[in-house]
Amino acid sequence: MSARRYVFAQMGDDFAAIAARELPGVDGAEQQLLAWNLHLAARAGLGRGVGLLPSDIVFTEPPPARPAA
Amino acid sequence: MFDLVIRNGLIVDGSGLPGRRGDVAISDGKVVSVGGRAGEARREIDATGNVVAPGFIDPHTHYDAQLCFDPYAFPAIEHGVTTVVPGNCSLSLAPLRAEQRVAFSSMFRLIEEMPEAAFDAGVDWRWGEDFGGMLDALTGNIALNVAPLVGHSVLRMYVMGDAAQERPATPEEITAMADLLRVCLDAGAVGLSTSFVDIDETYRPVPSRWASPDELDALAAVLGERDRVLQIVHEFFDADLTVARVEQLAELSLRHGITTTLSPLFHSDANHHAVTKVMAAVEAARASGAAVWPQVQTRPIDISFTLDQRSLMLLTMPSWWKVASIRDRDEKLAAVIEQRQALVDEMNSLARRPGAGLGAGGFVVRDVVHERNRDLIGRNIDDIARERGASHGDTVVDLAVDEGLGTWFIRESIGHNNSEVVGELLANPLVHVGASDGGAHVGSFSTFGDTGFLFSEFVRGTKSLSLEAAVKKITLDPATIWGLQGRGLLAPGYAADVVVFDADRIGRGPEVASDDFPGEGIRWIRRQEGIDTVIVNGEITWTADDGYIAGARAGAIATR
Repeated sequence: MSARRYVFAQMGDDFAAIAARELPGVDGAEQQLLAWNLHLAARAGLGRGVGLLPSDIVFTEPPPARPAA
Repeated sequence: MFDLVIRNGLIVDGSGLPGRRGDVAISDGKVVSVGGRAGEARREIDATGNVVAPGFIDPHTHYDAQLCFDPYAFPAIEHGVTTVVPGNCSLSLAPLRAEQRVAFSSMFRLIEEMPEAAFDAGVDWRWGEDFGGMLDALTGNIALNVAPLVGHSVLRMYVMGDAAQERPATPEEITAMADLLRVCLDAGAVGLSTSFVDIDETYRPVPSRWASPDELDALAAVLGERDRVLQIVHEFFDADLTVARVEQLAELSLRHGITTTLSPLFHSDANHHAVTKVMAAVEAARASGAAVWPQVQTRPIDISFTLDQRSLMLLTMPSWWKVASIRDRDEKLAAVIEQRQALVDEMNSLARRPGAGLGAGGFVVRDVVHERNRDLIGRNIDDIARERGASHGDTVVDLAVDEGLGTWFIRESIGHNNSEVVGELLANPLVHVGASDGGAHVGSFSTFGDTGFLFSEFVRGTKSLSLEAAVKKITLDPATIWGLQGRGLLAPGYAADVVVFDADRIGRGPEVASDDFPGEGIRWIRRQEGIDTVIVNGEITWTADDGYIAGARAGAIATR
């Protein structure tokens, strides 16, 4: 019933590690993950170096097309 | 002879069934009879022309600190609220070690926007460290009922110390947290609250966010042992994340047989598909047998702010947030002047962001310091900026600096303001009326009067709900969802929590400034409209004629 596939980050994870684990063999997987998870990519502004947290939801597929208005 | 009889009102008993005229008799804090003509009583209330309903239940509040110095949770009671759930969003005042009070207080004040002076003057920690002791300290000293959550962040702090904000818990620490949660639940906690969004004073995620899904699962298992509730504050700004949290809650609900609730769920015309998507996930969860309750607030989102203090509005402008965090006023003003261009640019950039349209041009001058600026009150920044030939950011900063940063601005109707759509959402049987944030965000908006607004806007206005359905939404529904046995219904044997109100007049009242909190500064409140009498556990606690009844302390820990 999920609108988008996701995983929980593991402690010490970065996007490269998740990309290797969840999207093996996909070109540019790390950049894709960043683009699909702007809520986490934006954390650097206020997060002062806090990486991914174990409670973070990390989407492993892009958002669906937005329905027509 | 009864203690009290409320005569000839329209009894709307909380069940959702049609109202009927009759009397309600009360003795020993309980409802004795409902309907018909009751016999003699030591005291009577004539409710002719008024509705007689169960007291309203507010399931999402942060009165934790206020209840320590204000037994009435002013002005909640006069709005008909007789039971509140504090301790939401992972933060409760216990269990907490003495040496952690400073760090916790800072976190609570920041997240819930509680003034430092009020918190420090009002919270004396007289109960010590444990949750049961805190409830003992409240017992006999509160005028309304309290069904407190225990906060996940404080559980972590108690067990893990500073490591609570550094790493996941070990299996041993998870076991210790589960044991501690069990103790809190047995002492009277209605459930556990957790947060997936909040940060502390140093921008570090709160302890609950460092928990692994396994940790939350272990704690949910304890909730399952005691049939208690899990509350989360989630990434409400993103529909896909909210859907994912709904699914996470559904899994926990099914695995442990628990009720779960997430708050808040907002509607925005700028992203009207979001609520549809979330509610589809909720419906799917429901179809699987899970209990997942989104909380929907009744009021639109308005935020007031100055540039002198951190507020929700400044969260969208990190540079401003950092400047506002400077404690000394003169240093803060100097920093604004020194960093002026960067701050102006950041404020002007608001208008270019997608979504809710938070551009500074939409700020309205709410109150001013100097008489010479009084004619600006009520005007928006776009209008003033055009007149002055300046940018929005320059206009805001010029005015604020001229007034020592004391100018009050307001951004109204940021979202959740399409009454037709919100009314339809509130009427949905799968949503829970909540998310008032009662007692929090005191400088940003009033958290009082949401119940009155339910009637004025969505019963009388859009007619989205019948009178009976609206009463049920804020009485029997929350009592059932939260497991508050013996409350939320006017029926023999139930607690005599009663509100008498005029269905044609009940509302939320205008938002006004109040300086009633300890220390300097103001908070925003609303006074009741259309309420006649509020009774808590059989004790008349507030009336339109006499106001708050001195010494009324019939409030109870609703879970004991």
